[in-house]
Amino acid sequence: MIAVLACALVMLVLQVLTPFWWWVMIVPFVYGAAAAKSGWQALRTGLFSACLLWLGAGLYLFLAGSRIIAGRVAKMFGLGQSWLMVLVTALVAAVAAGVSGYAGYAIRAIFKPAKPKGAG
Amino acid sequence: MKWIRAVVSLLIAAAIFWGLDNRHGLVPPAGKLLNPFAGFWQNGTRGDTPLADLAVPGLRDEVRVAWDARHVPHVFAANDHDLYFAQGYITARDRLWQMEFQARYSAGRLAEVIGRAGLESDRFNRRFGLGWAAERAVEAMSRDPKARESVEAYADGINAFTGGLRRKDYPVEYKILDYSPEAWTLLDTALLLKYMAYDLTGYNDERWMTAAKKALGEAALDELFPFEPPKFVDPIIPPGTAWDFTPVPLPKPGEPAAPGGTKDPAFRASPPRPRSRATPPDPDRPEVGSNNWAVSGARTKSGHPLLANDPHLRLTLPSIWYEIQLSAPGTNAAGISLPGTPLVIIGHNDRIAWGFTNGGDDVLDWYAVRFRDESRGEYLYDGAWRKTSVRSEVIKVRGERPVVDRVIYTHHGPVVWLEGEPEPANKSIPAGAALRWTAHDPSNEFLTFYRLNRAGDYDGYLEALASWECPAQNFVYADADGTVAIWHNGKFPLRPKGQGRYILDGSNPADEWTGRVPYAHNPHVKNPPRGFVGSANQKPADASYPYYLGWDYASFERGTRIVEVLAGMKDITPEDMVRMQSDTLSVRARMALPRLLREIRDRDLTAAERWALNELKGWNFENLAGLAAPTIFSQFWSDFNEETWNDEKKGDLWGMRWPRSEVVIDIILNHPDSAYFDDKATPQRETMGDIANAAFRASVRTLQSKCGPPGRSWTWGEWRKAGIGHLGRIPGFGREKLAMNGGGNALNASGPGFGPSWRMVVELGPEVKAWGIYPGGQSGNPGSRFYDDMVDDWLAGKPDELVFLKSVGEPHPGIVARTTLRGGK
Repeated sequence: MIAVLACALVMLVLQVLTPFWWWVMIVPFVYGAAAAKSGWQALRTGLFSACLLWLGAGLYLFLAGSRIIAGRVAKMFGLGQSWLMVLVTALVAAVAAGVSGYAGYAIRAIFKPAKPKGAG
Repeated sequence: MKWIRAVVSLLIAAAIFWGLDNRHGLVPPAGKLLNPFAGFWQNGTRGDTPLADLAVPGLRDEVRVAWDARHVPHVFAANDHDLYFAQGYITARDRLWQMEFQARYSAGRLAEVIGRAGLESDRFNRRFGLGWAAERAVEAMSRDPKARESVEAYADGINAFTGGLRRKDYPVEYKILDYSPEAWTLLDTALLLKYMAYDLTGYNDERWMTAAKKALGEAALDELFPFEPPKFVDPIIPPGTAWDFTPVPLPKPGEPAAPGGTKDPAFRASPPRPRSRATPPDPDRPEVGSNNWAVSGARTKSGHPLLANDPHLRLTLPSIWYEIQLSAPGTNAAGISLPGTPLVIIGHNDRIAWGFTNGGDDVLDWYAVRFRDESRGEYLYDGAWRKTSVRSEVIKVRGERPVVDRVIYTHHGPVVWLEGEPEPANKSIPAGAALRWTAHDPSNEFLTFYRLNRAGDYDGYLEALASWECPAQNFVYADADGTVAIWHNGKFPLRPKGQGRYILDGSNPADEWTGRVPYAHNPHVKNPPRGFVGSANQKPADASYPYYLGWDYASFERGTRIVEVLAGMKDITPEDMVRMQSDTLSVRARMALPRLLREIRDRDLTAAERWALNELKGWNFENLAGLAAPTIFSQFWSDFNEETWNDEKKGDLWGMRWPRSEVVIDIILNHPDSAYFDDKATPQRETMGDIANAAFRASVRTLQSKCGPPGRSWTWGEWRKAGIGHLGRIPGFGREKLAMNGGGNALNASGPGFGPSWRMVVELGPEVKAWGIYPGGQSGNPGSRFYDDMVDDWLAGKPDELVFLKSVGEPHPGIVARTTLRGGK
């Protein structure tokens, strides 16, 4: 839980300071490569942190004046309802971040000695 | 195993990254677009709040802006530079993507951002010489210090805004199409004007007329497409108006060139190929439909003159116009501006009001070129070989290698389509012909706007008009002293009657333009006895006018309607003008239908036919959305023309149009026994009655197959339901289907995708009052409340009373916010 919040916070800061969307992939990747205890944890942390951030930000903006543009973009994508864009936004971030977190962990795992059987 | 897992997961992550970071065809880069911190989520209603006080580097002095409730800025500056600088800055804030996209389109640089899909239009616009024309226009405008200062300051203002943009502030279309705004230049402004010139004067018929002349003979064409319309047609200048100039002699018609020339050239150039209805034969074009008129104080209730204008264009969102008031020492003008160009284009100041309709004259000719050989390095002219020149157009294509197009120029102009090349989408282009067009000549139309914005009387208006060349317009005028006037104004080639109706001989000096009609000889009238002036794209003057300007003007209905309505009114109020702009009466139906209905034999009618006949018989000729009769008449008219003219058009004349409605109506009313009604494909002789009956039955069959059984689905509103699309054709960014009153030949001319792009009524006098509305909104941001907020009132024909401030501090209930812009570092 703390890892999720920490990742989300780091992403938030980087996203506010720069225009790049891909921090939601970089931050989970780094977390997975540097700190995650398992592939599942890396995936889960990336997924939830990015989802939390983009869902929260999307929802806030949806309620604070971006409902019209969300409706138009939803139509462009062939979706009927403007609020669906909040879900789509969160979903895209979650998938990208989850996969990236897992990949980060998988890279590190190459260099990690195999755990002795029965340990841990 | 670990390696495989690592590599596979990394590849999947990389694929997702790549997939979300890039555009795929026209699918936007989802990662960038959905990012709540910089993507579309940032394009909400935040920009709807008027600009806050801020420092803008480049301003010389303080600029104060008052914003009204319709998000219209009222800009007050201490000097011209700051005025147009602020106009550029503010317009960019609301319309940046639109102005840049339109200039890009005109320049033939669309493929650079949308990819291969833009290549054909890019190539075409470059072949047509829009960029070349714009470059020459920049030179011309740079020679005049006033025009140059306003255009330069405007560009600087746009760039001051764009320079401060962060990615998240970009208009949403940049994010969807995944590119960035560029610096604005004088060339971009000139490109917009050339695009307008193309839109308004690029249409021509030489290719089809030339083919038709060969098939039918010149005498038949002179009858079907006459130079002088039937007697009942009202020209713009009232018949009987005395011309206040001594005409200059006209050049003699060109004699056929020496043997080896290209006389009768179209048949060397490839003949049109038969194709089923690739171009609609109906001569009503989208840009045709504009009206303007001015009424002298003698006919108005207040005693002050009234002026009305509704220019009709293709409608898009964001709207083509941006409303603004611009005030500095020496000027205080309000109305609509064209995003990307400074100044007020149509509007008023505290003394005068002005408006436009398109002229419709022939200012574009084609010259068949005979090249010496396949290299096309030389062409025949006056019995000798001349060198062509080549302008290499490098078209950048997103994601691909640039395409280089070598455009061949003769001294006439560019050769737009060469034999053997794929045919352009614009089917009026003849193969192997060079284009001569007044929009290619260096001219300075900005000076006209600059002076109109400042004119205080008729002389000031005349001075403004003198620098206007292309596109030729009907400039309607009214002033506070009570003068009303109209000038059919532009640069017209001085030519023998009929020159340019057919493809000309590019090798024959006698076919050249030899000069221009002197500006002061352009058709005009000031304070005519009837107390009003007006225009509706129709023929400018009757046969007494000594110059030939063209033959292909709008059909007569709206011109007739303006004259009959204004002549029949007394104590005219602004409300009357507003109602008149929404007038839906079809003069065409009123004149033709009763006579045609007399021919319909009501024996043996099916139930649907009987229903349709009753609808037509009970119709008051109003094109209202809730009625079925306008739909039935429209289809009936179309089928009647089809049945009448298709045999004349023969096999390969598919692009030939029907004669104009005034010609058809003249035949119906005055020559019902005309041989044109005989279908040459049958042995027996058909009469007008036979044709009318066949057409009536065909039209009912068509409507039944398209709309189902007679009923609501046959109503005019349902039949013509059309939306206003987004300029970049992004789905979901336009306005959905709208049921519109009016129609092609009513004053309220509208149709799928076109209609009144601005409706304005101005009352002059000690206090200027104005009303206006356009189908869109002030903001170009599809996420804004001001993106399409005027559409419903526009549809209902309810313009807003416009705010016109005398000073920035003037208290006004319509003003909701005030902003101060200061120069800064």
